[in-house]
Amino acid sequence: MSKAGVVHPKPSMKSVLLRGSFIIMALYIALYVVYVVQQPRALGAGAIASLFNNTVPLALASAGQAIVVLSRGFDLSLAGVVSITNVVMAVYPLEGPGGALASLAICLAIGAVVGAVNGWLVAYLRIQAIAATLATMIVCQGVALLILDAPGGTVAEWVSYELTDRIFNFIPVSGLILGAVVCLWLLARKTDFGIALYAIGADEHAARLSGIPVLKVRFFAFVLAGMIYGLAGYMLSAQTATGSPTAGEPLLMLSFAAVALGGTSLSGGKGGLFASVMGAATLMLLQKVLFSSGVSSFYTGIFQGAVLIIAVMFSALLTRLGERKNK
Amino acid sequence: MTSRSQNTSYIAVPDKRGNAKVSRETISAVSVAVLCVVILLGSRFISPSLGSWSQVETVLTLGSFLVVLSFGQGLVILSGGLDLSLPALITLGGVLSTAWVGAGNPDALFLLPLVLVGCGLVGSFTAVGVVWLKVPPFIMSMATSIMVASATLGMTNGTTRGAAPELLTDLMKSQIAGVPASILLLLAFVFFGWVLQARSVFGRHVYAVGTNDQAARIAGIPVTLTQFLPYVISAVCAGFVGMMLVGYSNGATLRMGDNYLLPSIAAVVIGGSSILGGRGTFLGTVGGAILLTTLGTVISAIGLNFGLRTIIEGSIILIALLVLRDEFFERLRAFRRP
Repeated sequence: MSKAGVVHPKPSMKSVLLRGSFIIMALYIALYVVYVVQQPRALGAGAIASLFNNTVPLALASAGQAIVVLSRGFDLSLAGVVSITNVVMAVYPLEGPGGALASLAICLAIGAVVGAVNGWLVAYLRIQAIAATLATMIVCQGVALLILDAPGGTVAEWVSYELTDRIFNFIPVSGLILGAVVCLWLLARKTDFGIALYAIGADEHAARLSGIPVLKVRFFAFVLAGMIYGLAGYMLSAQTATGSPTAGEPLLMLSFAAVALGGTSLSGGKGGLFASVMGAATLMLLQKVLFSSGVSSFYTGIFQGAVLIIAVMFSALLTRLGERKNK
Repeated sequence: MTSRSQNTSYIAVPDKRGNAKVSRETISAVSVAVLCVVILLGSRFISPSLGSWSQVETVLTLGSFLVVLSFGQGLVILSGGLDLSLPALITLGGVLSTAWVGAGNPDALFLLPLVLVGCGLVGSFTAVGVVWLKVPPFIMSMATSIMVASATLGMTNGTTRGAAPELLTDLMKSQIAGVPASILLLLAFVFFGWVLQARSVFGRHVYAVGTNDQAARIAGIPVTLTQFLPYVISAVCAGFVGMMLVGYSNGATLRMGDNYLLPSIAAVVIGGSSILGGRGTFLGTVGGAILLTTLGTVISAIGLNFGLRTIIEGSIILIALLVLRDEFFERLRAFRRP
């Protein structure tokens, strides 16, 4: 399947500036300035690394979610995959760098298997994505409970130390891993698969008529997303150093919030993975800023909700403005 | 696959509408009901204490929470939206009716409806965001949920006080002519819900708007109002579920709504509705809710550990989804008329 003769119009300066990823970057930087003004220590390498460590599990989970959302789907199994990988890491710790690699492979495999089941149900058996992944999520939660029925266990020391550490005392390892995923995505979106993913999300029927193997692409979108959730569970385990059968649940709703904050349309075809990662980072940073401003932790939800509504409205408004200018 | 979908759109299709006198919604509602009865009777083989009349009563009482909740959820889904704020509203309804109204309050009959009005106001907040500000329903209702949950937490300072007003305990615990009042309430609610969704003008409008809001607007249907009201109704239903739960367990907790969001969506989908709106029946949803509750009670009575129970529950939802697929019904019809 060759994509010869596809001409991409060069985007204008304005439309680049109005894209979701730039808006969310601007929001993040503004929030970060507020954070630094409140907490001058925040510029230290240690504080930056801990911010990264807090952010990376949600950021990865949102990255996987973004891939499914782009193809016009929903994936609730995220919560299940993260929980399973977390309890596996805590119940079967493998020491040393070799063990860490083996654990990583196991986590990715778990994600791929769950993703394949989702993809099969949604693409080939045509069950509505939200319903199919709801069922797989419940099954996964059951599996997680079978492996570990109450919070406990310890993650391998090598994983929980090295993966939350800094290289040369400056670059956070978790940040590198997140960066690697984003870079891989930037490469993948230029491939046939990436283009097909956007095409299916925008108009499935048109995509099918132009010869895109819709079912296969949708299937692999779920598999890929599942593997990224596996990685998210791996990084979450490194950060918490312990296991919980419900570890993934708090990430589920926040992942949708992050995807939407990044300007990715929940009806598919528009947006990207990087913007969703930034959306996740903004949500986590917002919590820190609210905490350091002395807002009672009871009430942080009110601010989170308000920011979510305003940001989504704002990015929709700017996108509309950008589209009008381009015409 | 590609060639098939291409061909059918160009070749004149013989009119087969007469063959499908029984709509797929009716088939799925009936098959869900049959499945419930089979599970309940089948559970007798596992343990003789199961499958009795008292167990049916338990299932109906526990199921009534989910039925009321998924009526609202189903209406919102039918109109083309989704409501994720239900758990927060259940908790709000529950906490207000214990902490603010409380036991022994002579004005309960007047204050409890006021709590429902409050829930309705929260629902209209979601609706304003969705209908006028064009925030996607998923995001808007999630934001409402986060904000309401956080406000409830702040209001109560993290601990819930008070007991259920007698009015609510009477509603859930008393018997009228030997039948539990909660079951009579359920039957009345199902009738009321069915009339509103299937037989009223408003219900017809919701179907039209959920199928195609542009076409509905051209046809002169008040689209804005029709998209607005389901969120209000859904919020009031959730608040009422909070009250029912308070009456049933004589107290409120801050997490009392958490386990109801996903079942409310699952009940609607298992009942044969499209998650994209415009298709589905309330009776199907009722069947879905009762099926989920039946499963829950039977599985928990077997005495397996929690993990296995969860796996079985998930697998059965999956099987129900596989069985109730569109293609399955098409095959069924093709089989009837070779």
